[in-house]
Amino acid sequence: MKVSFFETVRYLAPEPLRPEWPVPSGAYDREAGAQAYQAMIERLQLVEELGFDWVSVSEHHYSPRILTPNPLLAAAFIAAHVKKLTIAVLGPIVPQSNPVRVAEELAMLDTFCQGRLVVGLLRGTTNEYLTYDLNPTEARGRTDEGMELILKAWTEPQPFAWQGRHFQFRTVSIWPRPLQQPYPTTYALGTSKESCEFAASHRLGCGVSYGSWESTARATRYYREQCARHGWEPRPDDILYRANMILANTDTEAQEIFDKQSKQAPFPLRAGVREALMTLDSRNVAGVARPAIVNAALPTTFIGGPDTIIEQIQRCRDEIGAGVIDLSLTSPSSRDMGLLTRSLELFGTKVLPRIRGI
Amino acid sequence: MFTEGRVEVDGIRARYLEAGQGIPLVHFGADLSTPSPAHELLARRFRVIALETPPPGRPGPEAAATIGRAVKSLGLADVDLMATADASAAALWFALQEPERVRALVLEAPTALGRDGSAPRETELEPRLSEVTAPTLVLFGTADRQAAQDSGRVYTKLIPNSHLVFVYDAAHAIGRDRPEAFAEVVADFLERHEAFIISRTPTVIHP
Repeated sequence: MKVSFFETVRYLAPEPLRPEWPVPSGAYDREAGAQAYQAMIERLQLVEELGFDWVSVSEHHYSPRILTPNPLLAAAFIAAHVKKLTIAVLGPIVPQSNPVRVAEELAMLDTFCQGRLVVGLLRGTTNEYLTYDLNPTEARGRTDEGMELILKAWTEPQPFAWQGRHFQFRTVSIWPRPLQQPYPTTYALGTSKESCEFAASHRLGCGVSYGSWESTARATRYYREQCARHGWEPRPDDILYRANMILANTDTEAQEIFDKQSKQAPFPLRAGVREALMTLDSRNVAGVARPAIVNAALPTTFIGGPDTIIEQIQRCRDEIGAGVIDLSLTSPSSRDMGLLTRSLELFGTKVLPRIRGI
Repeated sequence: MFTEGRVEVDGIRARYLEAGQGIPLVHFGADLSTPSPAHELLARRFRVIALETPPPGRPGPEAAATIGRAVKSLGLADVDLMATADASAAALWFALQEPERVRALVLEAPTALGRDGSAPRETELEPRLSEVTAPTLVLFGTADRQAAQDSGRVYTKLIPNSHLVFVYDAAHAIGRDRPEAFAEVVADFLERHEAFIISRTPTVIHP
């Protein structure tokens, strides 16, 4: 089992912020922001020393919860400060990006970090449709087309034109190209039927997140079936599972930490906006409909002391088939940096050495 | 095509222009000297009634009550309400006095909280803005040199369900300077209220 640490940049607001999305940007504290990015580097140096395999970053906007609106910039900054960690950009929100620009920037990044880049491409959480004025009914189509164009831009040796549904370019010929050939390890992120089918048909990995064991396993099972249909069998590393983990010295202590943590939805929208988005955005797990927005805290699938956590990781391997877990150790909204450091150290010393064979 | 009418309330004979069908959109403080392209565009989707502003100098609550009676005289129960510049104070007072009659509120280059470089005109209004229940859209042109653009953030901070829009390259008369841009966002807001922040713009180039 490989392990990735999901770096969200722990911004410690000097004053409590209202639970809302977007969060008014006037509430941003420059010193707290500067400290958060510096502390991130110190934390990731510890993560590297502890033997984690990857660090991951993701794209979220208009909120301090995950302070990497441009995950590629964050990845470049991180890459300059760590030596061994694989840098996982999970990932640019494809439907609201210029796919050619994304292909160029990821190729630069792969070269900067000497081929230690992993890429995840995704549609993005529903609230992010509001960030750059993305029409929710077009998000799926723009994601699929954008992902296809990124792969083409990475691999096509001659200048080409793209005559798409949503994107049109008369000349594409990117420089640099990725260091890894034909391109970095890439995952299509999402549990949807469409995402799993895209991954399978393009021989990409499948990245799933935050679902229950059952629903996540349903998605990865569907992915494997689709891979078989396309004549190949994914390796464990081709399945990536991002999840929340609460690790403590004992099961009881972990449960107490879990009980105390915020149950707030990560990106709470105004009711009228949330309801409208629910009618416009459709989501599914391997074809089974699920709500576009869950107005509650994301589930925590790993909770316990080291022994229990190891059992749960084995279960993750057995049921979901994941060969890589991407962990948020303590909630991104937690202000307890001591707890985060202790969790990282506990994971590095008591769990990591015992899961390599899983 | 706009038709002209007059309504008499409180001894004042106010002129109005009317066009279109559907949900009534009453506009206070409109310049009635020439037909506005923004009114023409809005009249494709609303029954637009552009009403002459009450004479200046009257306190906001009093002007609002007069306007309320004028709207009633026109046979209108609840309305979408739009107000420009100085008329924004009366519109806000009206929304406070008779909240059940205001479906939504649009403030075009409002000066209720002051003109550029001047002290607030309606000192009693600001503390009451948190009581406005109508979904409210506040628009400023980026080239406006009369209204205090910076006051936009005060409206949206205080009015619970409110949104701020900057219309690029429009001056004080936004609807005249950028009629298409103005009418599109106003109509969308009046139709969808807070959900207007969700894009419906198609980006398909080739189906």
